[in-house]
Amino acid sequence: MNVTLNWLKTYIDFEFSPSELSDRLTMLGVEVETIKQLGTGLEGVVVGKVTDVRPHPNADKLVLCQVEVGEAEPLQIVCGAPNVRESMFAPVATIGATLPIGLTIKSAKLRGEVSHGMLCSEKELGFSEDAAGLMELPTDISLGTPLREALGLDDVMFELEVTPNRPDCLSLIGVAREIRAETGNPLKLPAVDLEESETDIGGLTSVTIDAPDLCPRYAARMIQGVKVAESPAWLQQRLESVGVGVINNIVDVTNFVLMEYGQPLHAFDYHKLAENRIVVRRAADGEALTTLDEVARELTTDMLVIADAEKPVALAGIMGGYDSEITETTCDVLLESAYFNPSSVRATAKALGVGTEASYRFERGADPGAVLAALDRAAQLIAELAGGTVCEGTVDVYPGQQPLREIQLRPNRVNFILGIELEATEMEQILSRLGFDVEASGDTYQVTVPTFRSDITREIDLIEEIARVYGYDNIPTTLPKGDIPVPAPDPKVEVRKSVKRFLLAAGMMEAINYSFCDPNCFEKIRLASDSPLRDALPLQNPLSPEMSVLRTSLIPGLLENTQHNRNHQINTIALFEIGGVFVREGDQKEPERIAGVLAGQIGDGIYGNPYRNPDFFDIKGLVEGMLETCGITKYTLQKTDVPTFHPGRNAAVLLAETQVGTFGEVHPEVLENYDLPYKAYLFELDLEALVDAAVFAKHFEPIPIYPKVERDLAIVVDKAVLSDMPTERIYKTGGEWVESVRLFDVYEGEQVPEGKKSLAYTIVYHSATETLTDKAVNALHERVVKHLHQELGAELRM
Amino acid sequence: MKAELEAIKTEALQALKEIETLDALESLRITYFGRRGKLTDVMKGMGKLSKEERPAMGKLSNEVRATLTEAFEDLTEKLQSQQREQQLETEAIDITLPGRKPAYGKAHPVMQIMERIEAIFGQMGFEVVTGPDVETEYYNFDALNTPSDHPARDLHDTFYLTDGHLLRTHTSPVQIRTMENQQPPVRIIVPGKCYRVDYDVSHTPMFHQVEGLLVDKHATFSELKGILTSFARQMFGDQTQMRFRPHYFPFTEPSAEVDISCAVCQGKGCRSCGNTGWVEILGAGAVDPAVFEAVNYDPDEVTGFAFGMGVERIANLQFSIPDIRTFYENDLRFLRQF
Repeated sequence: MNVTLNWLKTYIDFEFSPSELSDRLTMLGVEVETIKQLGTGLEGVVVGKVTDVRPHPNADKLVLCQVEVGEAEPLQIVCGAPNVRESMFAPVATIGATLPIGLTIKSAKLRGEVSHGMLCSEKELGFSEDAAGLMELPTDISLGTPLREALGLDDVMFELEVTPNRPDCLSLIGVAREIRAETGNPLKLPAVDLEESETDIGGLTSVTIDAPDLCPRYAARMIQGVKVAESPAWLQQRLESVGVGVINNIVDVTNFVLMEYGQPLHAFDYHKLAENRIVVRRAADGEALTTLDEVARELTTDMLVIADAEKPVALAGIMGGYDSEITETTCDVLLESAYFNPSSVRATAKALGVGTEASYRFERGADPGAVLAALDRAAQLIAELAGGTVCEGTVDVYPGQQPLREIQLRPNRVNFILGIELEATEMEQILSRLGFDVEASGDTYQVTVPTFRSDITREIDLIEEIARVYGYDNIPTTLPKGDIPVPAPDPKVEVRKSVKRFLLAAGMMEAINYSFCDPNCFEKIRLASDSPLRDALPLQNPLSPEMSVLRTSLIPGLLENTQHNRNHQINTIALFEIGGVFVREGDQKEPERIAGVLAGQIGDGIYGNPYRNPDFFDIKGLVEGMLETCGITKYTLQKTDVPTFHPGRNAAVLLAETQVGTFGEVHPEVLENYDLPYKAYLFELDLEALVDAAVFAKHFEPIPIYPKVERDLAIVVDKAVLSDMPTERIYKTGGEWVESVRLFDVYEGEQVPEGKKSLAYTIVYHSATETLTDKAVNALHERVVKHLHQELGAELRM
Repeated sequence: MKAELEAIKTEALQALKEIETLDALESLRITYFGRRGKLTDVMKGMGKLSKEERPAMGKLSNEVRATLTEAFEDLTEKLQSQQREQQLETEAIDITLPGRKPAYGKAHPVMQIMERIEAIFGQMGFEVVTGPDVETEYYNFDALNTPSDHPARDLHDTFYLTDGHLLRTHTSPVQIRTMENQQPPVRIIVPGKCYRVDYDVSHTPMFHQVEGLLVDKHATFSELKGILTSFARQMFGDQTQMRFRPHYFPFTEPSAEVDISCAVCQGKGCRSCGNTGWVEILGAGAVDPAVFEAVNYDPDEVTGFAFGMGVERIANLQFSIPDIRTFYENDLRFLRQF
């Protein structure tokens, strides 16, 4: 909603500067988004009087003029306009002025004669397309006055952000009322003094409302014998100053009154209405209407239309019909001013995909009380500007008239809610200035709500009114006095924090991807055709096919991030994400996952810390570290057949038989699908499952006081023996004396027979109760070796 | 013999002066103290001396031995320390060679800000709760006093699923979910993802909000101002000025938009605050009685206030990222900066 300073001042007196007014309105809740000085681009253009016109000695079509601009000496200006004559007042662009058309005026010689400026046409000033001659100015303006001032263009426009609850502020008078609340100055409403002809409107037309639920009020007036033409300059300029386009004098008046009162009006060509009458009804099945924008619209039976005796002629509260619009030949006008049901206008406008100044106001709630005032104002202006006479009387069908709303206000409740101590009388004053009628009754007030405040229905609404006029800035700043609730600790938060801390310390960067993804990504990560992960929830109105379903895994996002980075020549990629995915099955429909990717190279590639390629055991280490940081020690790993991974290089993590995640090397085909020239490693775990298994309670274990004994053990076993099989047996055989078993070497090749491999372990023996002797350790160590031989065929490697 | 001892002493002390290395010193030591060393030889002659001569010679020879031993030790120490210094000198390195930095990761900038917000409200007794991203019309709109024909719905361009659910447009549904399951006092903040159909340099279709709610027997608008002022001072610095502007949200009344003084120009007005000196950071207000009614709280028995802020917006007050979509490209050159 746009308003200008000068226009506002026609409805209320105030002394605020533009920036003060902006601040006041903003602090009342009518936020000023921009302030714009109008009439710019006319600096240096002043009012001049042509005092002498002589032929140009060297040109037939040019003349030499002397032009007075309020300075000691007149200016000599060479001019070629046909209408130039002595004593005329015209705009003069002085030296240095830059015109809206982009021309900068310099002192110049035209065919040998000096010209100190330029006399201007409307086109040259950007006012119109009229280039036929000089723009003529009234002769009562003092010479040298800046043109902007002389034409009343010196104005300031405010662009307001009006919240949906305040349709009353979608009008100049509404904004003026806010200024009244601020200043207490009275409103100056337009004086309407209609001269009516003797022809009674009742004999010319009638209004029938068949849908009073959707149209509580419909009023009309008739203006006969108008002449449709261009509006006068003041009206055009008013409308243009707030960004409303001009059309003709009739339509411009309706738009002017719309801006003034916030009441949408519509003018019909009376003679194009079948039987010259109005029926307000729901559209019939299959009816259509071509609206003013020349779009043929199919109507449904829940849409309200304005019809004549036969057919719809307007979409109620939204847009007029093309066939009944005002044209150059219109002579009799039927002017509509009505109040329509907000929900109905909103639903119809939405269904048809149209939005107009009228529908914008009706769907928020117009003022049923302004219907007649706006109608009379517009009728009078049309008669003034387009000739014609206003017929006697008004048709005003008002089936939905409601008594004014009354609300009880408890002053102590106001103070209770706001935390202030305002006198009741001050509250009363604030509400009165806002247009409420306030009656004291005992300790409370009975407040009557004016028709233009449809948003005020409850006591709390009045409290807000008082708060905003009193000033939010005047409300004190205090701290809550209430009890602080004691929340139970959330294990999920703990797991998330621990895991994240671990991953950050491990050099992983945190990523956040959109919750939407491309359904093609499931193919790209080679999900099995029956994978439940393919069953992603689709959006009804996605932004693009690439964002059309909700993700069921974090992996595609991370692979895309890897691709993005690699495409930008970043090859050290270590990313993780913690976030929800969306599945259809189960109670937990938005399970939280944690996933990560390692790709390209590890290290910083500097002297002393060369790059190396990550491998399976890097990703495995991350997964094990995460489990460890959550206190989860009892888990098993086993190979899976998840097709995203290399079939021989992946694992699932199992907590008590339940798979809680997978990790491994990315399948080469998936790498190709993401244009990755190097290997990548991924993990994805179910955070919720970790929460169930996490153990954060800590217990103290005594620090060992007896020395430990280390023994290295290198064995040769069949290749098929997995490295943790000997480990397991060492623990089992060694019993409580084995503190730890560390695999430090794996070797195949020379010196090891074909089909065999060598595994080397460091075993740490330790007792919590005694110092172990060599003899005791040797005995145990030998037993370990013997068991390994018996159970795994392990031979000691010499 | 006395003369011999004196000569050895003089000669040895003289020889020591010439010694420059530990090796040479060792050979010299052997020359005098070795099994066939000069001093050893002289000492061997002790047995041939008379009983009367022996004590004096014994004393003298011990003195000579002691003197020489001390001289050898002094020189050993001196040479050793010289040698260490030389060695240390040769071990000098180019300290401008790169350090071996352990890899360390960084939290996403949006998360860093969110965690800070959580920490500040955590200190004020607000519990972190979360809720689902996929919501119903009821929780996202209706229960928040925004029925379907309400013009305020136009403010949120909503993503719908094909089954009638929607992606929440704000974290406010969690207010409802919490109050449905908990009696006052309530003091929660709700961090989380939200979604709106919007995609340009200043909008991403997914973004993060932190919502706050306090409900008690008598929570006032002035307390809302207090909590948020305390938050803003901790978040943006203790010089931060605040402005509460009347605004409209369907689920709060009175409602406010909250501005802080522009950090770039200290409130004087500049390009980044649109010359107003103020930057909007959040929306807030007293909980609308209709919301209390929706969760079966009695609006005459309890009052409360709520607030909500966009995390990206707050992050960008610090980072001034021209295209906010950069947050979700996960470009490591970007992520490394925060």
